[in-house]
Amino acid sequence: MTESTTAVPIPDRLKGANDMIECDQVNKWYGDFQALKDVTATIKEREVVVVLGPSGSGKSTWIRCINRLEQHQAGRIVVDGVELTNDTRNIEKIRSEVGMVFQQFNLFPHLTVLDNITLAPRWVKKQPKSEAEENGMALLERVGIPEQAEKFPGQLSGGQQQRVAIARSLAMEPRVMLFDEPTSALDPEMIKEVLDVMKELAREGMTMMVVTHEMGFAREVADRIIFMEAGAIVEEGTPEHFFTNPDSDRTKLFLSQIL
Amino acid sequence: MAGGEQYSGVHVLDPEGVDYTGAEVEATTVKPDDPPMPPVQWMKTNLFSSVANSILTVVSGLFALWAIRGILGFIFDPERRWEALATNMRLLLVKSYPFDQMIRVWVSFAILLGLTGLALGLSRSGALAPVSRIASTARNVGLFLILVGFLGPFELGGRIRWWIAGAVLVAVWFGVWRIMGDKARFKMVPMLPFTLVLLGILVGTLWVFPYGDYRFVDNNPTFEAGTVAMTSKIGWSSMWLTLVGAWAVGVAMSRSSFGVGLRKSMPLIWLVAPFFVTWVVMRDPDLDWDHVLSTDIPMFLGFAAIGGVILFFLSKPGLGEAGRLIAIALVVLGLATWVFAFFGWAPLWPMLQKARLSFLLLGIFALAAPTFAGETAKRLRFAGGWVGAMALLHYFATMINTTSTLEIAEPSFLGGATLSLFVATMTMIFSFPLGVLLALGRTSKLPIFRVLCTTFIEVVRGVPLISILFFFVIGFSLFLPQGMSMSQVAQICLGYSLFSAAYLAENVRGGLQSVRRGQFEAADALGLTGLQRTGLIVLPQALRVSIPPLVGQLIATYKETSLIYIVGGFDLLTVANRVISNQSDFLGAKMEPLIFVSFLYWVVAFSMSKYSQTLERKLGLGTR
Ligand SMILES: Nc1ncnc2c1ncn2[C@@H]1O[C@H](COP(=O)(O)OP(=O)(O)OP(=O)(O)O)[C@@H](O)[C@H]1O
Ligand SMILES: [Mg+2]
Repeated sequence: MTESTTAVPIPDRLKGANDMIECDQVNKWYGDFQALKDVTATIKEREVVVVLGPSGSGKSTWIRCINRLEQHQAGRIVVDGVELTNDTRNIEKIRSEVGMVFQQFNLFPHLTVLDNITLAPRWVKKQPKSEAEENGMALLERVGIPEQAEKFPGQLSGGQQQRVAIARSLAMEPRVMLFDEPTSALDPEMIKEVLDVMKELAREGMTMMVVTHEMGFAREVADRIIFMEAGAIVEEGTPEHFFTNPDSDRTKLFLSQIL
Repeated sequence: MAGGEQYSGVHVLDPEGVDYTGAEVEATTVKPDDPPMPPVQWMKTNLFSSVANSILTVVSGLFALWAIRGILGFIFDPERRWEALATNMRLLLVKSYPFDQMIRVWVSFAILLGLTGLALGLSRSGALAPVSRIASTARNVGLFLILVGFLGPFELGGRIRWWIAGAVLVAVWFGVWRIMGDKARFKMVPMLPFTLVLLGILVGTLWVFPYGDYRFVDNNPTFEAGTVAMTSKIGWSSMWLTLVGAWAVGVAMSRSSFGVGLRKSMPLIWLVAPFFVTWVVMRDPDLDWDHVLSTDIPMFLGFAAIGGVILFFLSKPGLGEAGRLIAIALVVLGLATWVFAFFGWAPLWPMLQKARLSFLLLGIFALAAPTFAGETAKRLRFAGGWVGAMALLHYFATMINTTSTLEIAEPSFLGGATLSLFVATMTMIFSFPLGVLLALGRTSKLPIFRVLCTTFIEVVRGVPLISILFFFVIGFSLFLPQGMSMSQVAQICLGYSLFSAAYLAENVRGGLQSVRRGQFEAADALGLTGLQRTGLIVLPQALRVSIPPLVGQLIATYKETSLIYIVGGFDLLTVANRVISNQSDFLGAKMEPLIFVSFLYWVVAFSMSKYSQTLERKLGLGTR
């Protein structure tokens, strides 16, 4: 299985970049069921990786292991030089560097949009209120909805909520962003506004790991595509290679179903 | 409008002009009343829309008439001895509080009313109601009074008086309708000032209306029916002036930055008020100034200064492991002082109770310090919070531990309504945080907490309240260390608090379970600590969901304070049920006080439930 992680050409813009996320033989079981099997991959700084795979293949499980929402039982995960262990200090450190965007947005319904964004900077980073609010407004500007700052999440459309969620993660100034199907809960007309924000982020050099079914996004933005099946990585490659000339039969089957 | 001339005699308000509360700005946002239906059509749609509906209307209407007639017959029966109630009003409200100190009760009441007025003024909360709705309420009350005139067991003269009163109210409605017409549905009246004026009129009648004068003179009841009461009119008028004055001050301040700050500290003020009113104002501690100057004040200053410095240091950002160690050491120290006391080793390490409390609190603050780390101003606020907490703790501990100047033979200076309200208030104050902690403990991942909390909740919920009360009043002192004692009232409050906390905990737990997993994950992913996740994300959402059952539980506990008599306290119901009907002058007069007391219970419980509805609506704003 590990053979498949060979020889993906590194794009020029990533030459000489540091390793941001290293997964080495990561295994995870839910009871008797093995959800991740020897997952090994390295993601470089500024790289955009899209993870594809059929439902139940372990994409969410993997991405959630990277900020310890799930705990892996064997193997190593190292984020920006810090290994994820049971040491809470390491977990705190990694969570402060890794932002995550969920399929269901998971905004805090009892707080206004601006409070959603400034909560973590104020309580985790100890930023003064005025500074946090200034940054928060700048972020809302960036995702295009500064006029919604005083509303509650329940009063926004799905696309707006997801953009708030992205802004909320960015407020912690993460070095890595994880996206778990960020557009799957959205109506088609709102998908674009969220993808645009994500493209902009990628262009600015954010390290991103994205689980998505948006093939257009994968083709356009990804530096690399990782294909998973039954908890294991089946194939890795550039979008060009992956969509036009995949190696494994399983990938071909998946592409034929989805395209 | 045609009203210009009608208003000329009494110069009220320019009907088109600026309203003194600025209400018309908001008036546009308040829904005007629907246009009134003609009475016949209203009856058709609401009462006689179908055969079944008509039968129901007739049957329940007859039943209502029969019930009203019965109740009126009971209340106005010449056999009723309402003077037993009127004469014993003081006993019901404050039991045997010394007569010459009664001013303290009035002052306490004034403090609470003043705070109420201030809070109302500061929040500028002002429901608006259209004039037409007020008028039709007056009309309905008037019609009811006329009905009472028909159904009550009165002489003709009595009936006519009821009819006149009813007719006046109906005339008010008619006048409004004639003068303002359709405009009445759109002209908004701020309800709060309106209510204050109504209350003022009510209080004003004390000065002219012959309600009668009932009191004990040398243990003999004297009745002077048909006179203007002398005793209470000054008191009630001052109360009304306090309320209105505080409200006006609140409104005047509400826009200033001081007013905004004051509004934010109102919850804390409300929390402190019951302690202050009962233990300081009503109990009047007999301070030993030598002791205060030599021990109490230096002790407070020591704790405040040293603790403040320590906490300021501990809230430095990035202190890391060293900070944690110091905090844990302080917690151990705080717990040790209690362990020493409880295992009877106190003589080895003697200290005042409030020192033990202070040490324990210092440990808790130290644990929380990293959460409040930040820039200097924030750290200073945190240390300031400690100094404030110490000031409150030491002030009240000193006051409570000082003997009272009052000379009362009974175990408590509280009795009657004050005792019931006091126990209910203390129960609410203590059982709420305790219930939240128990719920958190029961859902926590740490097995010790979980088992302890679950056991506690299940044991308390499986035992009758009465046995818990007995345990605390009779058996609890055996568990206390030597030299530590608790007044009977404190024991009763403790029993009620623990009982109520177990039930509240289950309600909160229901709320906790309704918070979705994604909320926990989002908080974790942002790097919040477990404490922050609970306090900032999970609890606010859980509590909001559980407001209705929580308030329901608090109301139940409030009514259950009527069980105090079982352990020998003279609460409101006991005075009504046992004391009055045993007085030689009022032997057997039981129903009258009981009806009155039930009414008092109902008023408080109903207000609580109304308040919870408002709260729910206000907090529901943010949710879907
Ligand atoms: N908490 C859990 N307990 C037990 N099994 C789980 C749990 N979470 C996930 N699984 C199982 O692990 C496997 C991988 O799940 P995962 O959610 O990672 O899939 P996925 O690739 O994200 O799928 P999808 O595209 O549907 O989101 C699935 O078979 C799922 O049933
Ligand atoms: Mg998934």
